[in-house]
Amino acid sequence: MLRLAQRPSQSCRALLTCRYSTEPPQKIPLALVAELRKQSLVSISKAREALTHSDGSITGALEWLQHDLIATGTAKAAKVSSRSTNEGVVGVSVLSHGAGLNTVGGVRAAMVELNCETDFVGRNDIFAKLAADIAHTAAFISEVKQQGPVRFTPLVLDELRDAPLLSHNDPSAAPNGTVSSAIRDTIVKVGENISLRRASAIIENAAPAPTGTSALRLGSYVHGSLHGIACGRVAAVALINLRSPHLQKFLRDEAARTQLGLLERSIARQIVGFDTLGIKNMPENANDDQVLYTQPFITLAGEFNGLPVEEALEKWSNANGLAESTEEGGAVVLDFLKWSVGESEQQ
Amino acid sequence: MLQLTSCRAVSRSLYSARASLLSAWTRRNPSTLLASTVSRRGYAEQFLRSKPHMNIGTIGHVDHGKTTLTAAITKVLAEQGGAQFTDYDQIDKAPEEKARGITINSAHVEYETANRHYGHIDCPGHADYIKNMITGAAQMDGAIIVVSATDGQMPQTREHLLLARQVGIERLVVFINKIDQVSDPEMLELVDMEMREILSTYNFDGENTPIVMGSALACLEGRDKEIGADKILELTKACDDWLLQPTRDLEKPFLLAVEDVFSVSGRGTVATGRVERGVATKGTEVEIIGFGSTMKTTLTGIEMFHKELDRAEAGDNMGALLRGMKREQIRRGHVLAIPGTIKSAKKFKAQLYILTKDEGGRYTPFMVNYRPQCFVRTADVTVGLTFPEGTPDAAEKMVMPGDNLEMVCSLVFDIALEVGTRFTLREGNKTIGTGLVTEIMEYAQ
Repeated sequence: MLRLAQRPSQSCRALLTCRYSTEPPQKIPLALVAELRKQSLVSISKAREALTHSDGSITGALEWLQHDLIATGTAKAAKVSSRSTNEGVVGVSVLSHGAGLNTVGGVRAAMVELNCETDFVGRNDIFAKLAADIAHTAAFISEVKQQGPVRFTPLVLDELRDAPLLSHNDPSAAPNGTVSSAIRDTIVKVGENISLRRASAIIENAAPAPTGTSALRLGSYVHGSLHGIACGRVAAVALINLRSPHLQKFLRDEAARTQLGLLERSIARQIVGFDTLGIKNMPENANDDQVLYTQPFITLAGEFNGLPVEEALEKWSNANGLAESTEEGGAVVLDFLKWSVGESEQQ
Repeated sequence: MLQLTSCRAVSRSLYSARASLLSAWTRRNPSTLLASTVSRRGYAEQFLRSKPHMNIGTIGHVDHGKTTLTAAITKVLAEQGGAQFTDYDQIDKAPEEKARGITINSAHVEYETANRHYGHIDCPGHADYIKNMITGAAQMDGAIIVVSATDGQMPQTREHLLLARQVGIERLVVFINKIDQVSDPEMLELVDMEMREILSTYNFDGENTPIVMGSALACLEGRDKEIGADKILELTKACDDWLLQPTRDLEKPFLLAVEDVFSVSGRGTVATGRVERGVATKGTEVEIIGFGSTMKTTLTGIEMFHKELDRAEAGDNMGALLRGMKREQIRRGHVLAIPGTIKSAKKFKAQLYILTKDEGGRYTPFMVNYRPQCFVRTADVTVGLTFPEGTPDAAEKMVMPGDNLEMVCSLVFDIALEVGTRFTLREGNKTIGTGLVTEIMEYAQ
């Protein structure tokens, strides 16, 4: 193998001495290059260059790479920026599901779509982690912008890009850079164009009064997630309103909370599974299966499986002690957000 | 036995399809029937250029030169008369071909080396390829992993190798491209070292996998022969030597899927069906497999077109006269096979592709314990689908049209199955999915 490796390069060395403007490169041990690549995932030539500049010190090379990334990374990102990105993932971050036993706060969640060129990259964990981090950041930094009912609001992408990137699995870690610099670094690592296509968040800051009879909850589902990260090809977040004269008692009951969790996830799955366009009142020429409340609730296990969603929600509320009648209270879906990768914009 | 050996020799030098076409033709012409063996041999020798066929694919990062390499291979082989030169822009043409969901056109680029005929496909993406593989539209028997020497392996190289693993490719050839852009030969060693390491990580033979280093562009531009054209030839030779030739249907052990059973007065029980693979002659010992019992018997006669024959081979529709069997003992869905070559199984793991609404499949998702009909060859058995053990939240997991995934299939009755058997899933009058058996979990007793 050694012979194989050397034969061609003797001839090309002559061709290429002019390409590197630095003085004749000193010997860089292979092991060092391999080690630096393991730590930073940069290309072989870049790793070698970094080690040359840092006199063979890994720490020095990592530092040099940090600086270099700003210049060459931007150049690389600009080079690939015209390529179309139709693959990727939708990432979801739910920071607060809403009123519960320990959480007093409202709801807080975000959804982002991050695109790349091939699904090989789309399936890679580096890419999924980046999408999850961006979703986490979006959920974290968003603020209520206008008064009125709590709904999903699109984020200004440029603001999100300039935000410091927070890690989704270690929120206390100091941010290493902004969202846009993280995207740029990943472009350098995987060599594909990556674009942040859209981001949306839902925020309710006001904590419900402890004696309240109405609360908001979130249910979320990500389809086809890999590596155990909440990023996949299709995702939905549903905003659910619980109303009950004895809501506090309901939320303190552990069994009821378990049931509630199942219901919330089922609603989100139902929205993903069907071609859901609306909740109750439908745009014209949509069929029953595109309206959430008339769909058969096939994703909810148990006795209410298969009933129309609206009916199943009522019966579920009765059975779980939330409300005796619809007038008294119950669980209703107020809003939802469903995105799939590469779909045409329809917001 | 002598006849069998001669058949093997013929089939090795022929495409199986051509062989069966020819034999069907000779049979339909009784005048040539006597001389069939002889004429078949003569026919084969006129087609000396026919070589065993193999489907090969290139997998690699978008910038690492897959298309340039493909063009370079056709260029070099065209000079030897084994291909038609297909230039870069011809391979990379028509954007609509790249649009999602389109069938991968495996006949687009083809070439011939000294030993083989290759159909070349480019692997556009994971989901696209898996779908084409499960539905049987495209098949890679081997693959060339393309890596640029300047970048080395990239994070997504893992996904490339995982795909190859998942579709059952056991051997790969690696081409390290763009070596003319690397100043330090030691760096090539590193690329080599890292590739072998990652190959071993994903259960490929990292130590012995051929890694060829060259420049596809140099070859295409006709310069630096020693890193250009020479290396491309070395690569095709490595493919010839290292990639394993898949067995032709004719060379596999005999198997017939029973479509219908008749009772012919004065003769006995006849099972009809298409020979899926192999060759059977009068007197062949066979097993009748499926639906609980495995019975041994002998083929006492082979009939085709109402005429008695000595032998039947893959592709033939034949009637098999079975010694000592009653009509009630055999039914549609059984298979006749050489004893010990295939077993009856009830539970297996399979790679599934669930058809989308546009492809005629379901428009709603399904959950665990979904029970469609499973059609394997001529059998039609209800199957229960569950998730493999260890799947998190299996009770809440949902499968959507368009998904490809691995599931555990439990049949109501056992039928003859082996790794690689294809089947379809149907519900009502709809085909809702297709699958490929990846592991037998429970054989029938």
